[in-house]
Amino acid sequence: MKKIIALMLIMLLAFSFAACGGSDNGGGSGSDGSQAEGIFRDPKKNPYSDELKIAWIPSDAPAANCVAWGAGIERELSYWSNVTFNTFDGERDAEKQSSIIQDLIVQEYDAIILQPYVSSTVAVAVEDAEAAGIPVICINIDADSPHSALVAMTDYEAGYAIGVEMAESVGGEGNFVVIQATPGATRGENLEEGFQAAIANYPGITILDEQTGEWNSEKANAVMTDFLTKYDSIDGVFCHNDQMAEGAATAVQTAGRLGEMSIWGANGEAKALEYIEQGLMTGTVYTDCYDQGATAARLAMMFIGGNLDTSQFTQTLQIKMPPIVVTSENVASITEDMRW
Amino acid sequence: MRQEMLRRYISFGLLAALVLAFSLTSEFFFTSNNIYNLLRESSIVGILAIGITMTIITGGNDLSCGALLGLDAMVISRLLYVNEANVWIAITAALAVSLLGGLFNGFLVAILRIPDFIATLSSKFVFSGLTLMFAIRSATGMITTKTLSDPTIKWFGGKLDFGLYYVTIAFFALAILSQFLLKNTRLGVHTYAIGSNRNSAELSGISYIKTKFAAFVMSGFCAFVGSLFFLGKIRAADTESGIGMEFQAISAAVIGGCAFTGGRGDVVGTVIGVLFLKVLENGVLKFNLSTEMQKVLTGSVIVIMLVFDAAYNKYMQAKTSKSAVIAREKREKKVGAQ
Repeated sequence: MKKIIALMLIMLLAFSFAACGGSDNGGGSGSDGSQAEGIFRDPKKNPYSDELKIAWIPSDAPAANCVAWGAGIERELSYWSNVTFNTFDGERDAEKQSSIIQDLIVQEYDAIILQPYVSSTVAVAVEDAEAAGIPVICINIDADSPHSALVAMTDYEAGYAIGVEMAESVGGEGNFVVIQATPGATRGENLEEGFQAAIANYPGITILDEQTGEWNSEKANAVMTDFLTKYDSIDGVFCHNDQMAEGAATAVQTAGRLGEMSIWGANGEAKALEYIEQGLMTGTVYTDCYDQGATAARLAMMFIGGNLDTSQFTQTLQIKMPPIVVTSENVASITEDMRW
Repeated sequence: MRQEMLRRYISFGLLAALVLAFSLTSEFFFTSNNIYNLLRESSIVGILAIGITMTIITGGNDLSCGALLGLDAMVISRLLYVNEANVWIAITAALAVSLLGGLFNGFLVAILRIPDFIATLSSKFVFSGLTLMFAIRSATGMITTKTLSDPTIKWFGGKLDFGLYYVTIAFFALAILSQFLLKNTRLGVHTYAIGSNRNSAELSGISYIKTKFAAFVMSGFCAFVGSLFFLGKIRAADTESGIGMEFQAISAAVIGGCAFTGGRGDVVGTVIGVLFLKVLENGVLKFNLSTEMQKVLTGSVIVIMLVFDAAYNKYMQAKTSKSAVIAREKREKKVGAQ
């Protein structure tokens, strides 16, 4: 035991000395920003004729929205035979995404399209990629460091719109429950902020309970079942994504209380639209993920061929996809080819 | 001992073959940038795997070390970002949390005699819950993550001028010290003895409680060291940081020759195991394969490695029993002749 403690002390001392001694190097790197050489540079490649490698790093490759974004990107890039497109699954692991980006820098990729799992945990890797001259285009969730561009689903706005729809549907008075995203997920945080901002305008609305469904249908089903046993009067359920709303809807249906409350999700995936058509869900906010992916791909091609030095950006350029509130009244307008 | 060395050579040979295969098939694999990057990727998991090796050799396991790493990272992040504490106070607090975590596991296993697997699985949930409690929250009360800008934290993610990351130096330094501890100290002997045959070890006066505590405290310390470099690399902690990393570390230890039954394996083997896993992970990314194929290929190579390990163990067991039978027959003949 004494040897273990001694060993730990040696390691600690070594780290302390090294950290103190090395802080000049580490801290010094921040001063480089003041020596910006301007925002223009010569384009490195012609994106429509030179050989290119573009990577897509979703947070969870099998998820419906990630598949749709990937399909949108691939569809767009398939027009160009000079482009090699590869997908690298982030496996819902922030560190894994960061590691993949570092590897793609070594492999000299020409652009990275990324859907961060957590904004802050990919920030350093995104910074490194931009510094290596690789434009990074984020989908849906932004990275915490400035980079080339973000093509976002609206999240704050979607949360706000859902809040208004739900509150109006009960005449500004009622009891709501919320099934939240995995704690720390940026999209969940933004949706919640938008939703809370809308509900704040309706003092008659009470939020009875908020629990995480961890983006997961089964977990949301269990959480909703628990809410139903705890509360006799629930007028509305807001889930941070459609999968959770589907799980919640099944729980409400099983309890035989389907007519009592409105059930809302967000994203607009095909199954949720079917649930709306079947009367199991009340609504969602739809985003055309194919178009969102294609937009990211076009931006990647533009940055590769453009003369902007994106590593000098102090702010990320942003495109927001329009939020379409879908209920049983307009669900038919989302045609089969738009569903994902 | 010769058997151990033979297995070591075979493991190393397989690692070398993997490196050679990737070097010949990808122009990006055997480049200095990729090697330093690969070593960096190996190092955090490797640091955790060193601690896990200690617990596995005692015949146990530690499923909580990944969550403990996440908790340490969260404690540092919170103290720096929310409480604006001095970085060394934050680091000391994380060290204290880690050591307490190790002691907690030791208490569950050695004093309460709960099996390692269940005890550390439970403490994993405790540590994850504490991570959520310590998490940084936004104005609306939602959990959020923040990027740290402290220069000391940044330093932990740094590298030498020629490209080698500090985390890699720490990994190898910790590996050398731990290997020394296992092979050249009384504690090392006790660790192997408890893992090989606990009853015999206790009858010889070796303390099961002290040895188990030592292994879990060491694992906790490794989680702490890992958390510093994790934060250095990512500069933020989220509520899932570190979770799942323990499985990579356990896989590495097993690939490197540790047996869940205890008493077998060492840190050198674990280092080879970690490098094998990470070379595979890194190399597969270079092939332009679909996501599905990347996973199938990675899983298949690990399965092949484990099948080899099982076959090798069976062969060696058969060989050992055969030698024992021959020795007994010889002895009996000798006694008969007398």
